[in-house]
Amino acid sequence: MAEKKRRIGFAGCPPESILAPRREAHLIDLDNLVEGVEPRSESLLPRTTCRIIRRMLDNALALDLDEIVIDEGYGKCDSARGLADILEQLLDIPMIRTRNENREGAGTPICDSNLPPLRKMELILEGLVSPRKFDRTPEPDPPAAIWGVPAADFSVYEIFPDGTRILGWTRCLENRTPSDWELEMDVPYGVPTVFFAQTFCPKNIIAQHLAQARGGLHVDVDGVLSQPVRAKIEAFLHFKNVRR
Amino acid sequence: MALLGDFGTTWTKLLDTDGGRRCVLPTREAAAQRCRADLATGHNARRWAPRHLNELIALAQGGRRLIREPEFLLLDVGSRDVKYVHMGDGELLDMDWTATCGALTGFTLELLGTYYDLDYSRMEPAEKSVPVTCGILGMEQLFELVSRGVSETEAVARFARGIAMNAHRFIGEPKHFYLSGGMCDNQLFQRSFPDGVEVRPLGRFVLVEGLIPELEAAALPTITAPGEDT
Repeated sequence: MAEKKRRIGFAGCPPESILAPRREAHLIDLDNLVEGVEPRSESLLPRTTCRIIRRMLDNALALDLDEIVIDEGYGKCDSARGLADILEQLLDIPMIRTRNENREGAGTPICDSNLPPLRKMELILEGLVSPRKFDRTPEPDPPAAIWGVPAADFSVYEIFPDGTRILGWTRCLENRTPSDWELEMDVPYGVPTVFFAQTFCPKNIIAQHLAQARGGLHVDVDGVLSQPVRAKIEAFLHFKNVRR
Repeated sequence: MALLGDFGTTWTKLLDTDGGRRCVLPTREAAAQRCRADLATGHNARRWAPRHLNELIALAQGGRRLIREPEFLLLDVGSRDVKYVHMGDGELLDMDWTATCGALTGFTLELLGTYYDLDYSRMEPAEKSVPVTCGILGMEQLFELVSRGVSETEAVARFARGIAMNAHRFIGEPKHFYLSGGMCDNQLFQRSFPDGVEVRPLGRFVLVEGLIPELEAAALPTITAPGEDT
């Protein structure tokens, strides 16, 4: 009888040296939506907790994991560090706490490609579990850009045209340098940019600041993309003459 | 020719571009008549039109058609939400749309007018205001006032002032602005803004007007008028 694969959950962007030896196991990105997972975080976390932290807790409690690897370095927030403590109390499994200080960029070919932004996001997140070389023509003249962390509701990416550049922490994620502040704050001038953050995430401060400085649009979304936020993004792109 | 529609939460506004006939009817009635437009905006637009435009774009484009000034601030108070656009030389300078704070305020004011049989054109604005974070919470405050002996008319006037103050803060407290939506028919609401603030009502068809540039940009198929659905 074949030995059952170990199930290892990870959160954030742990160092490659930690993830690589675990790829033989069933690696699960706890930041991502897993169908069928019941929400239990309501009773365990404050109401002012962002949707991604909630999702990490829900996934960790539901997925019968053998181990959790969590990046709690500069690239993550206090909420993630606190969540690691909570999970250690709730679950009787090893918790590997890492700090990814990597500065050797792996490159951002997906963020810069001419693909639809939704596909870009899927590829970037899949790449953490199953890395593969990506060879695609870069989009030299991106029609728009979206800055931020991966959204809880990916339908936000469907609003943007192909070739939309991915900026912010998601770009750091593809580059495998999640604590690279300089890269996170790098926003080109002249490209209509939407600055996205999860509701209750401290990154809203940066998002709003950058939006004001670059003439962009700041939006925050708590879970599902609402009609008003969708309309704001559509209107912003419309009046910047960005068409899908 | 085409039929353009603004299918709001409680009211539907229709414009027949052939002849310019306009009508306003309750959305539930539009639904019962299986009303269909060629191009629509509003909360229910996706249900009753093959093509739709989001309300912020419609509001901005409607403002550009109706307002001569190069820079303007246009507020739309709907049944369930409040939104605004600030335009300058054709560019979108700022905008926002809230369906949480300010939610249901327009609907609640309409409901209260019917319930207490009030004529808003004859009511005087209140000196005080009820803190109205949303229609439901505002109504709670209003009933509290009534239970303490404040007249129903005064309580509703304070509620209207609360909505107006909230809306004014929401749009950045300008000295003057344009108003769109059902509140253009509500004299009490318009007079409930702070002293010295000039409200310029544009009526209920601003969003429908904002559909016309889309119509002009693309040829649309023949219209289906209300009640003529096939």
